[in-house]
Amino acid sequence: MVRGNFAGVIARRELLRAWAASLALGHLGCARRVRPAREEGRVVVTFWYAYGDRIRKVLLSLVERYNASQTRIRVKAVHQGDYFEALAKLRTAIAAGAAPTASHVVLEVLPYLARAGVLEALDDYDGARDLPFVSQLAQRGSFEGAEGQPLFGLPFNRSTPIAFANGRILEEEGAEMPRTWDELSAVARRLTRRGADGQVRWGFEVPISWWYWVAALGQAGGRLIEPGGGVSLGDAAGEDAIRFWQRLVRVDRVMRPPPGRDYQAWQATNESFLQGRVATMWSSTAYVRYLEDNARFPVVAAPLPRRARASVPTGGTMLVLLRAAPEEEKKAGWEFLRWLCDDPQTLEWATRTGYMPVTRPAVKRLVDTGWYERHPNDRVAYDQLADVAPWPWSPDLFRLARDVVEPRLEEAVLTGRDAHELMDEAREEARAPA
Amino acid sequence: MTPRARWHPWAMLAPTLALLVTFFVLPIGVAAYQSFFSWDLLTPPRFVGAANYRALAAHGHLFHIALHTAVYSGLVVTGTMSAGLALALLVDRPGRVFALARTSIFSAYVVSWVAVALLWMWMLDGNGGIVGGALRALGAPPTSLLGDPRWALPALAAVGVWKLTGYAMVVFLAGLRSLPRALLEAAALDGAGPWARFRHVTMPHLGPTAAFVATTTLVTSFQAFDVVRIMTQGGPARATELFVYAIYEQIFLNLSVGKASALAVVFFLLLLALAGLQLRVWRARAGEAR
Repeated sequence: MVRGNFAGVIARRELLRAWAASLALGHLGCARRVRPAREEGRVVVTFWYAYGDRIRKVLLSLVERYNASQTRIRVKAVHQGDYFEALAKLRTAIAAGAAPTASHVVLEVLPYLARAGVLEALDDYDGARDLPFVSQLAQRGSFEGAEGQPLFGLPFNRSTPIAFANGRILEEEGAEMPRTWDELSAVARRLTRRGADGQVRWGFEVPISWWYWVAALGQAGGRLIEPGGGVSLGDAAGEDAIRFWQRLVRVDRVMRPPPGRDYQAWQATNESFLQGRVATMWSSTAYVRYLEDNARFPVVAAPLPRRARASVPTGGTMLVLLRAAPEEEKKAGWEFLRWLCDDPQTLEWATRTGYMPVTRPAVKRLVDTGWYERHPNDRVAYDQLADVAPWPWSPDLFRLARDVVEPRLEEAVLTGRDAHELMDEAREEARAPA
Repeated sequence: MTPRARWHPWAMLAPTLALLVTFFVLPIGVAAYQSFFSWDLLTPPRFVGAANYRALAAHGHLFHIALHTAVYSGLVVTGTMSAGLALALLVDRPGRVFALARTSIFSAYVVSWVAVALLWMWMLDGNGGIVGGALRALGAPPTSLLGDPRWALPALAAVGVWKLTGYAMVVFLAGLRSLPRALLEAAALDGAGPWARFRHVTMPHLGPTAAFVATTTLVTSFQAFDVVRIMTQGGPARATELFVYAIYEQIFLNLSVGKASALAVVFFLLLLALAGLQLRVWRARAGEAR
């Protein structure tokens, strides 16, 4: 997952304009383009993306190569801020009848968009059923309860949470990467240093964010939604995860208090790590390459520690086609998405960014060429897929993340509010009609 | 002047009325209507009665948003007026040095909110920021002001004060320049000291200017968005969730048009009440003046 800087702030006017249009059109039914966009005889595929910095460059180089490789289709990649800003724009554009041909959306929002009927079912497109995706990263493996659902999303930039450590500090302190929560507490205590000038080198940091809480909830043995469909938010396990963070921040004082929200917190955590202010952290596998290239110390990756069990959610986004796009554009869009999933592109994407390789042949190729021997951190990330806990296929998933859980996590850690009381409140809100 | 026909005044007012109805009355009416629906722009709206209001009021969420907005505006208005007046008194002197000081102080006002927010984010950073460093040097515990629920809102308000003080200073300077020197000289001849002259001559003269600064600063503070969006996103622990940002978050990030509309309606009613109060005070003062 990557933060998309402040481009979204600048683009707010566009967003408000689209919203105004959507308000006007909303109750009248969404407008739909019929004629495909064309440019110099080529069908134009508009692809909205939400990658920043290095990953944006990799994507644009792929798009450029695709456009140069054939003469029928021109892909226009348009940056739309970070994931959430891009989603807001996508939604308003759909409502205003100005949706792009293709985009990519965060995993948690896929069931909601599918229920809203705005995504194109991909099953009948040429070769859609035969794409050799790594099972945990494909739509079916990423969600439970999705059996019988059409194929809406192709995995592209997929990731999992992972632990990183400053190799130099580990060596100096003779410490090892923690394998359990108890070990994490002990290692964080051992690695925390308080200087006379008030500066602190924190033993551990994690962005106080839904994704990492879901990881901890799974490790504590819980699940967000029970098999019967009841929203439990992990019950005691969800509360344990919060208490664990509360203890590290407020009692042991070995974890850096959260520095911000959403991707601001992710970026701040990575920066603290790179500056040597934090010895170990949880971050995303997507940052493997970025951290390795920018750290002035060896970066050591490890699986997340376990409590009752090992567990990680998957993250990142899925490529989608928008149903409202003209048929010819969708066919052209499919060709582009299909091309992105071919081995050379998948390999380039994974090796240049740090995202997981999403197809089995790509993984085999990495194994055969010795990539994982040369990049052991990538191997850790790939091996951790064995511990993946799929998301529930629930249209409420995104609301649970954004509206119900995320604001309460920060409150719990910063104010020390009772985890049980807080999660009871969250469960009550989650069960109320949206 | 008497109109020739009774409808003439209405004809004159019609263009303004049309604009007001189209861009103010109608949108708030639409928002009020939508606040009774659960709607995400993509799926059909579903009537939910007052559920959006109940959801917002539950656990004190709405109260906290209103409280944060009031505290933020209170701090920004009082801070801006105090600092603006103090600086105006300080730099209301001839000479190039004071001219440079006036220009420098005012320059913050013309910088965009986005640039100001980014600059202050860097300055307030708990690790490398100069404010954090200065606080540590003074013996304060190492903390990020923007990451602490107790300090984040005052820190945001301080940024607002820094940005708006130049504007207040210029308006106060204009007020000071319109004060007849003869009045101050007469008061001095009557034995009034600097404080007495300020209290009994300067301040009463600046009354209308202060009311103007207070009103415009209040309006600006109620519109605060960029600074929240960039510096805190309403956090930590919702401590800086102000009305405009909360509306944005509900509709664009949480996909809830109904809740955003409900917030907009409550915000509108609060502003209406405030405007009514202000009008009443003005009318009472006008009555006293007669």
